[in-house]
Amino acid sequence: MTSWYQRKRTRELALVACFLAPALTIFFLYRLLPLGWNGLLSFQSWSPLKAATWIGVDHYEEMLLDDDVFWDALANTLIFIGCAPIAIALALAIALLVNSDLKGAAIYRTIVFLSYPLMTVAVGIIWRWLYDERGGFFNYVLRSSGVIDQPVKFLQSFDWALPCVIAADFWQVLGFYMIILLTGLQSIPQHLYEAARVDGVPAGARFWRITLPLLRPSIFLCIVVGILNSFTSFDLVYVMTNGGPGHATELLITYIYKVGFGQSRFDYAAALTVVQFLLLVVLTMLANSLSGGNAGSLER
Amino acid sequence: MSWRRIFGHRFVAVPLAVAFLVAGWNIYIAFNNGGIIEGEVRDRAGAPVPGATVIFFERNFIYYQELRRTTTDASGAFRFDGMQVHVGQLEARTEDGSHSERRQLRLWFRAQDTEVAPLIVATPRG
Amino acid sequence: MRRAPSWPRHAIMVVVSFLMLVPFYWVLKTSLTGENIYAFPPHIVPIDPHLFHYVDVWYLIPFPRYLLNSVIVTTMAICGNLLFNTAAGYALTKQFPGRRWVVLLFLSCMLIPFQATIIPAYLITSWLGVLNSYLGIALPLLSTIICIFIFKASFEAVPRSLIDAARVDGLSEWRIIVRIMLPLSKSAIATNVILTFIWSWNAFLWPLIVIRTPEMQTLPLGLARFLSVMEDTTGALFAFVVMVLIPGLTIFLMAQKEFIRGLTSGATKG
Repeated sequence: MTSWYQRKRTRELALVACFLAPALTIFFLYRLLPLGWNGLLSFQSWSPLKAATWIGVDHYEEMLLDDDVFWDALANTLIFIGCAPIAIALALAIALLVNSDLKGAAIYRTIVFLSYPLMTVAVGIIWRWLYDERGGFFNYVLRSSGVIDQPVKFLQSFDWALPCVIAADFWQVLGFYMIILLTGLQSIPQHLYEAARVDGVPAGARFWRITLPLLRPSIFLCIVVGILNSFTSFDLVYVMTNGGPGHATELLITYIYKVGFGQSRFDYAAALTVVQFLLLVVLTMLANSLSGGNAGSLER
Repeated sequence: MSWRRIFGHRFVAVPLAVAFLVAGWNIYIAFNNGGIIEGEVRDRAGAPVPGATVIFFERNFIYYQELRRTTTDASGAFRFDGMQVHVGQLEARTEDGSHSERRQLRLWFRAQDTEVAPLIVATPRG
Repeated sequence: MRRAPSWPRHAIMVVVSFLMLVPFYWVLKTSLTGENIYAFPPHIVPIDPHLFHYVDVWYLIPFPRYLLNSVIVTTMAICGNLLFNTAAGYALTKQFPGRRWVVLLFLSCMLIPFQATIIPAYLITSWLGVLNSYLGIALPLLSTIICIFIFKASFEAVPRSLIDAARVDGLSEWRIIVRIMLPLSKSAIATNVILTFIWSWNAFLWPLIVIRTPEMQTLPLGLARFLSVMEDTTGALFAFVVMVLIPGLTIFLMAQKEFIRGLTSGATKG
């Protein structure tokens, strides 16, 4: 009896291992191993032509002390992330409007969310055209309404390029924030609002005291998505400005791509990637503690 | 599960509709892709011009050059066969040097059979 | 209970909808117009509209080649996902030593964004010898952790009695999955398919790194290449954009519910 059970158990374990193997292999190959390899590579001097040599923190020294582009890219990435709360607030307003008993709310919701599943390259081209000096929508509106005389070269100006890219990103990601916040809003029990209304609590206080705290998990998720968004906006920047006039729209991810695959300096790019990942971790932990710990969840 | 429920479901109906459209379009193409371009050359008075040369220019993002030329027959009609193009320009020229405007030709698919409006040539007619 | 008048909210939402739809309309009108698109002022309604830009794009890009590449890669990604995620999700419903660690491993992998792995991923792909091939493009996309957990949750909702009855009947594990659990998890399958489709169809950075020849390029790459290589004053580029967006929009509108459910299932913990 025991040996039959043992054989069955072994078979079951073998089966579990077999079923988990493909997914685990993929994640090992393309998530864990690269993470470790990045760390290793960042301390080495390596090129495809010669063997690796250990050089310690030389790359980090070069990055922090000699590399102006790195600091530009870092600043731009932080600005990008810093604008996420604006988008989240806008999305919250739209979610509140759509969530109230509005006829045709489903249509509004679809229209706002329509831009999210699109190819980001296509979105970049669409917005690049919208910002164009000659055929673009914004210049047309501004010049027709007499606000300006000469066309504004939005994507070639040092001051306007990054806000323009951020606006294009807003257009695409607003729908995603709205969906997350809508899900959060719909999971708030209605009886809380009823009780508050019966108690005579005004609408503003209802929002600040009931809605906002109960939305904490959703808002935390939106912030995490916003942080990740600055890393995934490679497509948008590549197509719209490719780093911008000078390096005005250079993000960390575009700089990593240029260094790694343009200049073929894999080791330095690995060091940059490590810094980018650390930034991600630090910002996520910061957001976590700001939203009350435990990923903003409502259980204590 | 009834047939109506299967085919009425959006995951089946939409791909099927797309497949039908694509199949229908390709069948139409298959019946109409002889690459025949025909038309007539007339002068300003409306009379046909025999013996005029009609040139087909190929123009796309990369080049702009003559592809083929033919001459009109006694009734002023011309015909190109087997043209594997979807866009180009036609021009008619006569021996005494007058030529028509360059007519832009745009087709819906490569080698579509088409008939163009008459090309007008200014010919001094005695 | 007196409700606030609804017309101000409608007005705001109409304005918001207009702003969200203007980019679509602007690009659509540019792709249809027959004039020089760089002439100022641009016309709101296309002058001399014609659909022939779309014909040009089809033959000259070459659109069918890029479409085929994208479709092949996406199909590989969807098949791989369905296979691997189902298996992993089922394995996670069983109790085995080290289960907590495996779950923790998956969750931590979710925290590593793809962008933090591009350099070594390129080196690994080239070491595997699948650079510039369909498999090389699809390999990192063959499994996603969110979908594994979606399947796990869906499988755990199947009543134990059904599974036990199937075991008594002598079905093997894989048969149990296919015959009993998958038919009851149709929404999980649909969610997985639509999420994988969107992610692999729109993927740009990874194909950009892996693909080395123009024939293997997928649609996003073709779009970016057209932008840099061809400079013309017609609406051909925008016809290309519209043609690229149509499949994505169609599939999204068809499977909206599943897509939203897949995205928000990340919002619910576990």
